[in-house]
Amino acid sequence: MEKMSRVTTALGGSALTGHTMHCHLDAPANAISVCRDAAQVVVAGRSIFKIYAIEEEQFVEKLNLRVGRKPSLNLSCADVVWHQMDENLLATAATNGVVVTWNLGRPSRNKQDQLFTEHKRTVNKVCFHPSEAHVLLSGSQDGFMKCFDLRKKDSVSTFSGQSESVRDVQFSIRDYFTFASTFENGNVQLWDIRRPDRCERMFTAHNGPVFCCDWHPDDRGWLATGGRDKMVKVWDMTTHRAKEMHCVQTIASVARVKWRPECRHHLATCSMMVDHNIYVWDVRRPFVPAAMFEEHRDVTTGIAWRHPHDPSFLLSGSKDSTLCQHLFRDASQPVERANPEGLCYGLFGDLAFAAKESLVATDSGRKPYAGDRRHPIFFKRKLDPAEPFTGLASSALSVFEMEPGSGSMSWFVDTAERYALAGRPLAELCDHNAKVARELGRNQVAQTWTMLRMIYCSPGVVPTTNLNHSVGKGSSCGLPLMNSFNLKDMSQGLGSETRLDRSKGDTRSDTVLLDSSATLITNEDNEETEGSDVPADYLLGDVEGEEEELYLLDPEHAHTEEPEYVLPQEAFPLRHEIVDTPPGPEHLQDKAESPHVSGSEADAASLAPVDASFSLISVSHALYDSRLPPDFFSALVCDMLRFYAEQGDVQMAVSVLIVLGERVRKDIDEQTQEHWYTSYIDLLQRFCLWNVSNQVVKLSTSRAISCLNQASTTLHVNCSHCKRPMSSRGWVCDRCHRCASMCAVCHHVVKGLFVWCQGCSHGGHLQHIMKWLEGSSHCPAGCGHLCEYS
Amino acid sequence: MFVARSIAADHKDLIHDVSFDFHGRRMATCSSDQSVKTHSGSVWRVTWAHPEFGQVLASCSFDRTAAVWEEIVGESNDKLRGQSHWVKRTTLVDSRTSVTDVKFAPKHMGLMLATCSADGIVRIYEAPDVMNLSQWSLQHEISCKLSCSCISWNPSSSRAHSPMIAVGSDDSSPSAMAKVQIFEYNENTRKYAKAETLMTVTDAVHDIAFAPNLGRSYHILAIATKDVRIFTLKPVRKELTSSGGPTKFEIHIVAQFDNHNSQVWRVSWNITGTVLASSGDDGCVRLWKANYMDNWKCTGILKGNGSPVNGSSQQGNSNPSLGSNIPNLQNSLNGSSSGRKHS
Repeated sequence: MEKMSRVTTALGGSALTGHTMHCHLDAPANAISVCRDAAQVVVAGRSIFKIYAIEEEQFVEKLNLRVGRKPSLNLSCADVVWHQMDENLLATAATNGVVVTWNLGRPSRNKQDQLFTEHKRTVNKVCFHPSEAHVLLSGSQDGFMKCFDLRKKDSVSTFSGQSESVRDVQFSIRDYFTFASTFENGNVQLWDIRRPDRCERMFTAHNGPVFCCDWHPDDRGWLATGGRDKMVKVWDMTTHRAKEMHCVQTIASVARVKWRPECRHHLATCSMMVDHNIYVWDVRRPFVPAAMFEEHRDVTTGIAWRHPHDPSFLLSGSKDSTLCQHLFRDASQPVERANPEGLCYGLFGDLAFAAKESLVATDSGRKPYAGDRRHPIFFKRKLDPAEPFTGLASSALSVFEMEPGSGSMSWFVDTAERYALAGRPLAELCDHNAKVARELGRNQVAQTWTMLRMIYCSPGVVPTTNLNHSVGKGSSCGLPLMNSFNLKDMSQGLGSETRLDRSKGDTRSDTVLLDSSATLITNEDNEETEGSDVPADYLLGDVEGEEEELYLLDPEHAHTEEPEYVLPQEAFPLRHEIVDTPPGPEHLQDKAESPHVSGSEADAASLAPVDASFSLISVSHALYDSRLPPDFFSALVCDMLRFYAEQGDVQMAVSVLIVLGERVRKDIDEQTQEHWYTSYIDLLQRFCLWNVSNQVVKLSTSRAISCLNQASTTLHVNCSHCKRPMSSRGWVCDRCHRCASMCAVCHHVVKGLFVWCQGCSHGGHLQHIMKWLEGSSHCPAGCGHLCEYS
Repeated sequence: MFVARSIAADHKDLIHDVSFDFHGRRMATCSSDQSVKTHSGSVWRVTWAHPEFGQVLASCSFDRTAAVWEEIVGESNDKLRGQSHWVKRTTLVDSRTSVTDVKFAPKHMGLMLATCSADGIVRIYEAPDVMNLSQWSLQHEISCKLSCSCISWNPSSSRAHSPMIAVGSDDSSPSAMAKVQIFEYNENTRKYAKAETLMTVTDAVHDIAFAPNLGRSYHILAIATKDVRIFTLKPVRKELTSSGGPTKFEIHIVAQFDNHNSQVWRVSWNITGTVLASSGDDGCVRLWKANYMDNWKCTGILKGNGSPVNGSSQQGNSNPSLGSNIPNLQNSLNGSSSGRKHS
């Protein structure tokens, strides 16, 4: 008989069909239970007790079991269970402590069959024996469990949990005589139905009440329990001591737990409060639910899988007065949304990358992706219950570190530390910074600095000792190069000490540089191509306007050049007629000489003839004073700064801004400047370049910036003798009238750097204290304190 | 160009996010394994606050909460002296659904935190007292109408740019709605209002990131969806009279790459906002860089397991630097918070 029923209920060729659907109930549901035939569901609640037929498209109310005129508390159900062997038999647990059985086979409207009024308080749970037709078990708030034989009027046996309240009772599927009960104190007890005197086994399963339990349907002695501690635990009851196999952390207290049919490791849970969703978990992946049903708007109170052999239909009742049928394939899958990868750029260009291991697996023969198809991850696969679990997903975390010198941010740090921003004449600052940039291989930036020097250091400002270099400049800038402007900068940059520096940098160009201006061209070209950060033609494009003027200088030198210099020039298109300005013939010789002279000796000024300087003056006069005052360039320089900023090199923008000071400040609006400053300072602080950042703050003219380092600068000091706060200014304590800032080592007043021990407030000259603490760890003042200096 | 090094992070499930701190010396990771029982759900994202506010982390989780953590170094008389441990300072429980992203606002805005959740609400919290990390007040709630997956603050510190948040949605509903919305703070109404919607992005967005703005006048936004996209947002100069109302932007898509041939999960900018790294389902990290013409090109491919990928020849930054300033990351990781928080 029993076998028969099993066979008939087993899912044959005709699978269940249906949709995700819901129907409105008249009242909140407390519990649901499914008929053996998977076609009907009973919904019980405080004021509802109905049977619905589950049809293809909808739920159809079939029977209302709440009959009779006056409402009886017997009908207020806390739990309901449908007998799994007898389609006509139901049992309910009433909130007044009554256990009621219902026989649908009764011909009258009232299907109530038997009433057991033995419990004193609410019955929380009723449970039919899975294979014995007449055995019913109940668990109540009063702490007792009772076993009823439906053929008898009273309970067969009473089990006392010796504890507060029974929350759940479940017959074991594996063991005919065994049932499990869960308690509000966190215990789970195992009973033999034949031995009501004491429980077989007891263990503490949860912290706080255990609300539910469920035996694994596949005879494995596994028991799942859910508690208020938000956890679902799976216990192996076959071993001598109950062993925790799995633990699933949910986000709210677990009200119900039901193993999913045909899926060995899946179970469904719903929560008692806060959370209205139903989750299906794979216990081997206890952190992310495999599926999530979000239909309910209020707490889900009852869940039941529709058919004991069909894993895809889940029914649920809720306090929001709806009954739902969920289809597993319609569930949202949080795992799908879960990001399998993490990626973060570090400060120095390191990349941290965490990815699911299957994604980065080394199998090179992996099939290429077809279109947009994602690599299927476990839960997305076709649900095949027999399929073995592929294992817990795990991630590989790796960090790609920049190899030193291959594009990490060290150039930024070096530049920040080595740039000179103030305290020297503009020309020197520019030269210095150009040198720094060049040494770091940032030729474009170096070019810019030299250009700036050219633009803003009018000859009048240039110290006279530099005159000979200006001569050099004059001669080379005469070359009608493609970008004569840059070339000119170049030679300008070759001024006094720069030449020496250059010799360190690239020796190749250095020697030839001044001898043959022609080689300058090639050198120039190299530099242009090397500098990749900033496009060369940008500069070219922008200076084109000036070229014409600059070429006015050309003739002089073109004529002065010796033939071998002229020759390479022809490789370049001469954009400007050379004859414009009549060359001063008397300069010719000087011009030809001067580069050599300046190239050989640093103090060649003595040799540089007066004519040379004269020519320079005339040149620069023509260039800067009468035609192109520095103001002319300022718009250009501003553009350039903006360009650098937009290229992500705010360092350059701010440095130039500081170095040039008033010369460009007025042309850039305050907000932009402030933006640059704050960005740069932020960047410096990221790299822990506190000194540089402070210097920048100090040098900035923007009020919003310069007040940055004026906040929280008050230092509260206590007197080292009386330990009281020093109230007045100065270093003499009001109370003990002694000078507080005595060095504990040399007993002199400390002016300048003073170092304190925070523990005993003694201190002194930094040097003295350092020296003292090298030899001794005690306070030099003799107070016995073990000072620490680090 | 890169040396790959794998780190054992001891996570038992997928790692969903990694995050470097402000100085690039420490790294936090978060995983589905709930980081030693501090959240009761998968921890989706983790992010560092500016160190000015202390060593502070925020995390968000499937359990509908976001949490703020602070690292405490043991007091001198304690036996834990010198040892650091992480203390949960607050739990933000306003969301009714999974909190999918959490981000600290740029420093100049104070200690603020934005979260977004699957129910489509972006919440902005502020700690009025930066010394008291356990007190956060909910300042704004922005409804996006779409399940949110990621947010990004505009990092610009310029006064010309009002606070701005971009929100991405991974809503998989077939209705082709724009999945990226940009909200801007309006000084007059003291509210966040929608400034723009990127109509062209209709696929689920997994990650979104504004590039660090170091003095740029416009904004760059990278989006990880089924491909990598880079947008520029140029603020249209406001009329002096109409100071109210949201800023209008000229939006251009400057790059779109489907080289991953799959979903792109993460995008991350380098510190200067010049190189974008993206990672996709192909298990590779790709680096993108713009040339001066604003043409974005792939400059490198890194395979997740460190093995070289053909065509990953580098030109990189082409700034051969003299000093090597790589922090010893492994050392700094030891004893730091690689995702493990001891509550």
